[in-house]
Amino acid sequence: MRTRCAGSRGLRALLLLATLSLAGAAPPRVETGQPAPVVAGARLDGQGQLSLAGMRGKVVYLDFWASWCKPCALSLPTLDGFRKEFGSKDFEVLAINVDHDPALARAFLSRRPVGYPSLFDPKGEYPVRFGVETMPTSFLIDRRGVIRSVHKGFRKEDVPELHAAIQELIRSGR
Amino acid sequence: MRRSVSLVLLLAIAALASGCSALQVFEVRPWERESLARRDMAWDPDPLQAQVEAHIHFAKEASLAGSGGGGGGCGCN
Repeated sequence: MRTRCAGSRGLRALLLLATLSLAGAAPPRVETGQPAPVVAGARLDGQGQLSLAGMRGKVVYLDFWASWCKPCALSLPTLDGFRKEFGSKDFEVLAINVDHDPALARAFLSRRPVGYPSLFDPKGEYPVRFGVETMPTSFLIDRRGVIRSVHKGFRKEDVPELHAAIQELIRSGR
Repeated sequence: MRRSVSLVLLLAIAALASGCSALQVFEVRPWERESLARRDMAWDPDPLQAQVEAHIHFAKEASLAGSGGGGGGCGCN
């Protein structure tokens, strides 16, 4: 009877360990049509805090970038152009920088200045929440905070498609 | 006492064995590739130097095959 009890406990402990290891392996994913996870944190330029909720009512292009990411260097001026074209009344770009060292990101931005703000996330918490699979990845979020499309990577050929998607979402009023 | 010792032993074995599991492989996530993206981490950090070396290699060793490239090892291509 005693042996059976000890064996049952051991089995339960093993099951618990297996469950915990499996739980750690599954990365969270966000899909289109789902509300965007909460984004709030310190600005890269040190000028206070930044949040996605503070941009509610505007179409938001949320972009993950890093100074070492080659396609990001291509995407930043394009996104700045979108922001200038669509205007801050309807549209905003929110960038999340994932460099380990903020000095590298700031040096990058001093060479390629953009008008939109960046949030600094050196621990990579937001890419995990958003289920980022490649760099850069961007999320087009509607006025109610719902993710409408996900764009992985960045090439010059993608610009017309992105432009059309933003334009359509702004026009739809969603 | 004996029962608790065996339980601790079982847990210790389970914890150690989990290190052999494929689930414990630590993946470098896309946003963690800062060091891997460095120029000196590339197979060929200097593309021009790599091209020159490849040209010499093909000129001298192409007949051995295995690395691609044409020519018969005459050094004239």
